[in-house]
Amino acid sequence: MTDTRTKYSFYVEQRALEVADRPRKFLEAFAAVLEHSSYHLPLDTYSRASVRCGRCAAECQLYESTQEDRDIPCHRSELLLRVYRRYFTRSGAIAARFTGGFTLTDDDLDEMAEAYYRCTACRRCKLTCPVGIDHGLITHLGRWLLAETGIVPKALVVATRAQLEGVGNTSAIPVAALRDTCEFLEDEIRETYGTDVKFPIDVEGAEYVFFPAVSDYLLEPDTLMGNAAVMHVTGGSWTIGTGNFDGINYGLFYSDRMMERIVRNEVAEVRRLKGRKILIGECGHATRSAWFVPTFCGPDAPPVVNFLQYTARQLREGRIPLKADRIEPRVTYHDPCNIARSGRITEEPREILHAICRDFVEMTPNRTENYCCGGGGGTVSIDEIRKFRTGPMGRRKAEQIRATGARLVVAPCANCKKQLKEVCEDNGLDDVEIVGLHDLLLKIIDFDSVRPIGPVPAGDERDGSAAATGAGA
Amino acid sequence: MHAWVEWARGPAFTFCFCFMVLGLVRHVVLTMWEVNRTMRRAGDTSLPLAAIGRATVRWLLPMDTIRHDVVFSLTSVVFHVAILIVPLLLVGHIALWARGLGVSWPGIPNGLSDVLTVLAVVTAAALAVQRVTARVTRAISKPQDHLLLLVLALPFVTGFLVMHPSFNPFAFDTAMFLHVMSGNAVFLLMPVTKLSHAVLLPGTQLVAEIGWHWPADSGSRVAAALGKEAESV
Repeated sequence: MTDTRTKYSFYVEQRALEVADRPRKFLEAFAAVLEHSSYHLPLDTYSRASVRCGRCAAECQLYESTQEDRDIPCHRSELLLRVYRRYFTRSGAIAARFTGGFTLTDDDLDEMAEAYYRCTACRRCKLTCPVGIDHGLITHLGRWLLAETGIVPKALVVATRAQLEGVGNTSAIPVAALRDTCEFLEDEIRETYGTDVKFPIDVEGAEYVFFPAVSDYLLEPDTLMGNAAVMHVTGGSWTIGTGNFDGINYGLFYSDRMMERIVRNEVAEVRRLKGRKILIGECGHATRSAWFVPTFCGPDAPPVVNFLQYTARQLREGRIPLKADRIEPRVTYHDPCNIARSGRITEEPREILHAICRDFVEMTPNRTENYCCGGGGGTVSIDEIRKFRTGPMGRRKAEQIRATGARLVVAPCANCKKQLKEVCEDNGLDDVEIVGLHDLLLKIIDFDSVRPIGPVPAGDERDGSAAATGAGA
Repeated sequence: MHAWVEWARGPAFTFCFCFMVLGLVRHVVLTMWEVNRTMRRAGDTSLPLAAIGRATVRWLLPMDTIRHDVVFSLTSVVFHVAILIVPLLLVGHIALWARGLGVSWPGIPNGLSDVLTVLAVVTAAALAVQRVTARVTRAISKPQDHLLLLVLALPFVTGFLVMHPSFNPFAFDTAMFLHVMSGNAVFLLMPVTKLSHAVLLPGTQLVAEIGWHWPADSGSRVAAALGKEAESV
C-alpha cells in the first residue's frame, strides 16, 4: 500500500489517491455548492473587490513565522477565487476564450489541499482586511470542495465516519463505557470532595442536554467533574443522552454535508429526551457548529448554550458558593477562536476567572484579536503535522504564553487544550500546565455551604449579543 | 487639438461617465438582489445587524484601524480622501456640471484642491513603491494592481498641469485632452476592475456574514446533486 502521506503533508485515505478526473469532479462540486448554498455572493463580491493590499499577512501568525508567499491569506484565497472567476463568471469565460486563461489541473488541487490545511481558519485576518474578506470562509469552502474530490485528511474523515456510521461518536466510546466513566467520575468526586454529584443519564424532560467534546470522557475528567459540580450546586436540570453524547462536529472543518447531518443528530437527541436546550461543554468548535442549529433545524430548534455562559450566569446570580481560597499560581486565558473571534463569548470566562484566581493576567492580544492555538480548523487531530502545528503555526502562541509568566493556561476547548499542551512541550514551556476552566472552578467550589435549592429559574444564558453576532461573524 | 478636447469632454465623457454609473449601479443592484435571495433561502434568517454596522463603519472611517500599520494606512487613507474630494469638489468641475446640467454645489478653494492633488499624486507614487518593494504585496499583485495606480494618478498629474500653466511643458489643449481622457479611462475601468470596491465596500461586511447563512438543506441538496446521498462517509 502506498504511503498516503507522500502526496500531502497529512495522510489521506488510500481511496483518495485513486480518484480519477479530479478537476472535473471539483468543478461539479463547485457548481452544486454555488447552486444550493450561499457561497455565490461572497465569492462574487470578493473576486471583484479584493484590492490585494497585503494587510491580512501582517496579522497571520503563520505568515509571521514562515514568510512564505503561500501563507499569505490573500494568496491562499486567490487559489479558489481564480477557479470561480474562470469557470463561474461570464467575464472569466470570455477572457479564457481570448487568452486561453487559467485551466484547473491536478497540481492546482494539490496546491489548494496543502494551502487550505496550512490555514486553521482562525479568521483573525478578517479583522484587518479593509475590504472585509473572510478568508476563513474561503478556506472552509475550499476544504469542502476538496473533500468532494476525495481530498481530506484521514484523521478527520475517520472520526466523522465513527460518529455518523459507527459507534456514534468520534472517540468510538460505547454506551457501556460512557456509563462506567460517569460512575467513575461520580466516585472520584465523592472521594475527593465528599459530595454526591450525579452525571444524570437519559433523563427525560431535562432543561439541558449535555454535549461535551466526547474526548473529554477520555482525556479531561477534571473538566467534566467541574461541569457536573456546577450543575450540582446550582440545581441545574441536565442530562447526558446515550443516543448521542458527542458535541464534536468535524463537518465544520471539511464538509457542510457532514456538518448538517451531525447538527441534526444533536437536535434529534434533544427531542428524543424531550430536553429544552443544547448545552455544549468546553469546546470551541462544538459550540460554533452548534450555533448552526437554527440554520439546519429552523428557528424553533432548541437554543444553544455554552457551559461558560451557564456558569457565568449562575455565578453572577450567586448560585455557586466559593471557598475563601483562590487559585494561587498565575493564570492566563486562551480565547478559542471559534467562540471569541466573533466576540460572542469573551467576558463570561473572565468573570469566572476573576472570581476564582488570585493572579489572573491577560495574554496580549486577547479576546477577538487573540492568536489561534495553532491547531484550529481540525488540524490538531492531524498528528502527523505536529511539527508544523507547534513550530511555525504555534510559535507565536508559545511566545504569548511565555510573556504572561503564567503557570496555568486556561483553554476552554478540547482541541485548544491538546494543541497547547503540545505547543508547550515543543517550545520549552515545561512548567506551564494547560487546564480547562471548570477544572479550576471545581477546586474552589464550596460544597459544604451548598444549601438545598429549588430548580433554577428558566433563563437565557445565551449572551445578549447572540443574535447580534451570528454564526459566522 | 481643441476639437479633440471638445470630443473628450463631450460625447466621450458622456459615454464613459454613463458606463461607470450604470456599471456601478448594476453591481449594487445585483448585490442587493443576491443578498435578498440568499437570506430568503437561509435556514437562519437572523442577522447581527448591529455588529455588521459597526464593522462597516469601522472600515469606511478607518480611524482606529490605522494603528496596525501606520505608514501604509495613513498613505492609503490620504490617497482615498484626496481622489474622492478633488474630482467632486473642484470649482472648475462644478462649473462644468452647472454649464451642462444646470446643477451645482459648493466647492473647495483652489488652493486646497492643489494641496489635495499633490497629495493624491504623492500618495499614489508611495503606494506604487510600497506595492513593489513590500514582499507581501509584490507576491500577490497582478499587473492591473500596478497599472490602476498609474491610471488613477494620471488625471491628477494632468489636472495640476492644466491648473498651473507655468509647470505645464505641453500645450494647454494637449494637457487638457490628456486630463479628460485619463479621467474617462478611470470611469470606464471603475465597474470592471477592483475599483468597483468604491461601491461594494459598504456591503462587504454584510456579505461576509451572509456567506455563512446557508439554506437548511444545503448539504443534502449538494449530496443529491452529486449523486452521493447513499454514499458512506
